[in-house]
Amino acid sequence: MDTVANLLSREQVVDLLHRVQHGGEERVNHLRTLRKALRTPETQLIFIKLENSIQVLAGLLSGSNAQCQLEAAHCLLELSHSPHPSAGLACLPTTPYLLTYLSGQSDKFTELCLYTLGNLCAENEAVREKLLAQGIVPALASCIQRHNLAVVEAVGFVLSQLLQAKDAPVNIVPIVLASGLTPHLLATLQPVPQYGMGAAIECAWCLHYLVCSNVDDGTLVVQGAVSKCSSLLIALGGVMATGSTEEGVEMLVWPLLRSLGNLLAGCKLEGLHPQLRDSRLLPALCVLAQAFLQPHPALARESLWVLNNLTAGSSVFCSAILFLKLVPALIQLLPFSKGINCMVLQVLGNIAHQGTEYCTQLTQAGLLPALCATLKMANPEVVTLSLEVLVMVLASSSEVAEEFTKLKGLRLLEAIQYNSEGEMRLRASYILEHHLTSYSEAGAAAL
Amino acid sequence: MLQPDLLRFLTETESTDTDILAFPVLHVDTRPKEPNLEKLASDCGDDGNEEIPSSPFNFTPQQIRLNKDHEIFEDGDIHRHFYLQDVAANTAELSETPKVSAFRCHIAGCSQLFDTLDGYEHHYSALHRHVCSGCKRSFPSDRLLDIHILEWHDSLFQVMAEKQSMYQCLVEGCDLKFKTSKERKNHLIKTHRYPPDFRFDKSKKSKRKQEKTPHHKDMSMEVSEAPGAGGVEPEHGESMELCASCEPDRQENTDPPHREPLKPRYSHKVPHTICFGQGSTRGFRGRRKKWWRTCIAGKMNWN
Repeated sequence: MDTVANLLSREQVVDLLHRVQHGGEERVNHLRTLRKALRTPETQLIFIKLENSIQVLAGLLSGSNAQCQLEAAHCLLELSHSPHPSAGLACLPTTPYLLTYLSGQSDKFTELCLYTLGNLCAENEAVREKLLAQGIVPALASCIQRHNLAVVEAVGFVLSQLLQAKDAPVNIVPIVLASGLTPHLLATLQPVPQYGMGAAIECAWCLHYLVCSNVDDGTLVVQGAVSKCSSLLIALGGVMATGSTEEGVEMLVWPLLRSLGNLLAGCKLEGLHPQLRDSRLLPALCVLAQAFLQPHPALARESLWVLNNLTAGSSVFCSAILFLKLVPALIQLLPFSKGINCMVLQVLGNIAHQGTEYCTQLTQAGLLPALCATLKMANPEVVTLSLEVLVMVLASSSEVAEEFTKLKGLRLLEAIQYNSEGEMRLRASYILEHHLTSYSEAGAAAL
Repeated sequence: MLQPDLLRFLTETESTDTDILAFPVLHVDTRPKEPNLEKLASDCGDDGNEEIPSSPFNFTPQQIRLNKDHEIFEDGDIHRHFYLQDVAANTAELSETPKVSAFRCHIAGCSQLFDTLDGYEHHYSALHRHVCSGCKRSFPSDRLLDIHILEWHDSLFQVMAEKQSMYQCLVEGCDLKFKTSKERKNHLIKTHRYPPDFRFDKSKKSKRKQEKTPHHKDMSMEVSEAPGAGGVEPEHGESMELCASCEPDRQENTDPPHREPLKPRYSHKVPHTICFGQGSTRGFRGRRKKWWRTCIAGKMNWN
């Protein structure tokens, strides 16, 4: 194994560059040495500041000897990792070649070029602007149609870097949508997650950024984005439910949830119904919330956010949750903080808001004892939301008031009246005065 | 966790049984509870359902749209960042290609030596895959090869080019065409920000030049001019050589293939060509017969 000193002096780097330039038949070996040396940020910086250094690499990259080409590409990949802001700009002379080679046949080489381009895109607006002018998007659109999943993953990576730019909604997303890339992105979201998960992950994050840009949800919907996200989430939920943990699967679940959640919020729900007919999405979202509760509570919360967007104002989805008996599973999540219990209460509130029959079924599923627990929590938002849900349920029937009283609910409400939060006090008082009137005076004796 | 039958439903049931539209939908009798609702207090009172404008409750079912930078997304974004760092570390391992015992390229006339499979695969793709059988130049992609054949070896192209814009932009996705290659080059530089010395945009130059060192079968790729400052010193014997006879299928051109080996046609200053031994031909792509193509028989399958 060759060993390369970790930190080369400037003279040593100059010497290495010289050997690469004039090395004749030894050139490949010198390039290999250079590649290893360029793993160090300090060496990267020295190298890019040397006169002609990048031009030498560009020459080799576009030159005659294929092995030197490959090694030069590796060197550029190392340089592209440089944290230094000038590195990206320094590498610009090589980009037309990197792009040209995307349409070549050598998969490994194409991958190298893609990762280099992706790294270069990441931080620097000037680099992105140039790459866009040089036609990076159509090049990616061709590349993604290759059957090699490693290449597809690399394309997804580059695209995800491009799409995160601040100006992406204006300058990049429209080009991407027009390029025919999106159906291929969606095509990677197959419900066979263990095969090519890397590619699916990258493409899902691209989808998330595209949806967030709010440029044209309609096109994405027409291309089946909702259906794809839904099916894949169902498949992943199924996998998690059987206890088999795919390592890293959260990297795929996250962008799927986000894409679906925002697409639901962006479009009329009725219009999406054809793509949302598989009711297994509901238990899948519950499973995902439960499964990720401990390792990734933020992800659990996002799963519940999607449930909120499905149920808000929708009698179909609210009924389905009741019909599938998912309420107990939701109630189990109420003890958990970090926004989880609030989101659950939103969902329960969506259901209660639909009317009397919904409230009845919620009560039968054990909502009241659960609310009694949440009414005692410290978080004001949780308590306020609990009161909102409570008032809807109380308004639905008098038996509910009776049961609530039996559960010592009045005491809870009276305690809230002394809380510092005005919103809580108002609501608690209102309920006591208007919904539990018959109980609160008599109740004092019963307590 | 979910009840067992729900789990079964999630994992096993066929899609037709899971159609949400088949589920019963409960009757909806939602009453708006917005604050400041101008509802008369004459709503019947005893069931406690009256809407009083001073109700503090304001729960409204609402779909929530979260933008990319919303704080709810922060955790996931951090994990994504770490994931990508891992990916970057893994691509560094792309570099560590296993070495094999050295072997030579099997294409006749090319005796390049390799000690890694990746190196060989790339060499093959870069130099032997998209080759013009007319002039033996090699190209990085089908598309550039096609453009080359059209512009260099198709006399009909020359005729048409006198009347209309035929020189297409090299950038994929840009459908513009130009009257001359110079105009195209200017377009590449101005609009697509390409360098003036981009190697795959050479113009036709005179082909008759001096001798070159023979023997070394190293391949050169087509270049425009030597790149500006920082040119790489050519490898020893890096030259263009003609291959020995090659047999393009159904060739109808008038240029006879060179039969004497190692008689160079180009100088250092003129773009190098790639020279191969007998590149075997596979036939045309179904285009006009005047176009020559060298296709490699049997695609190399590396998967």
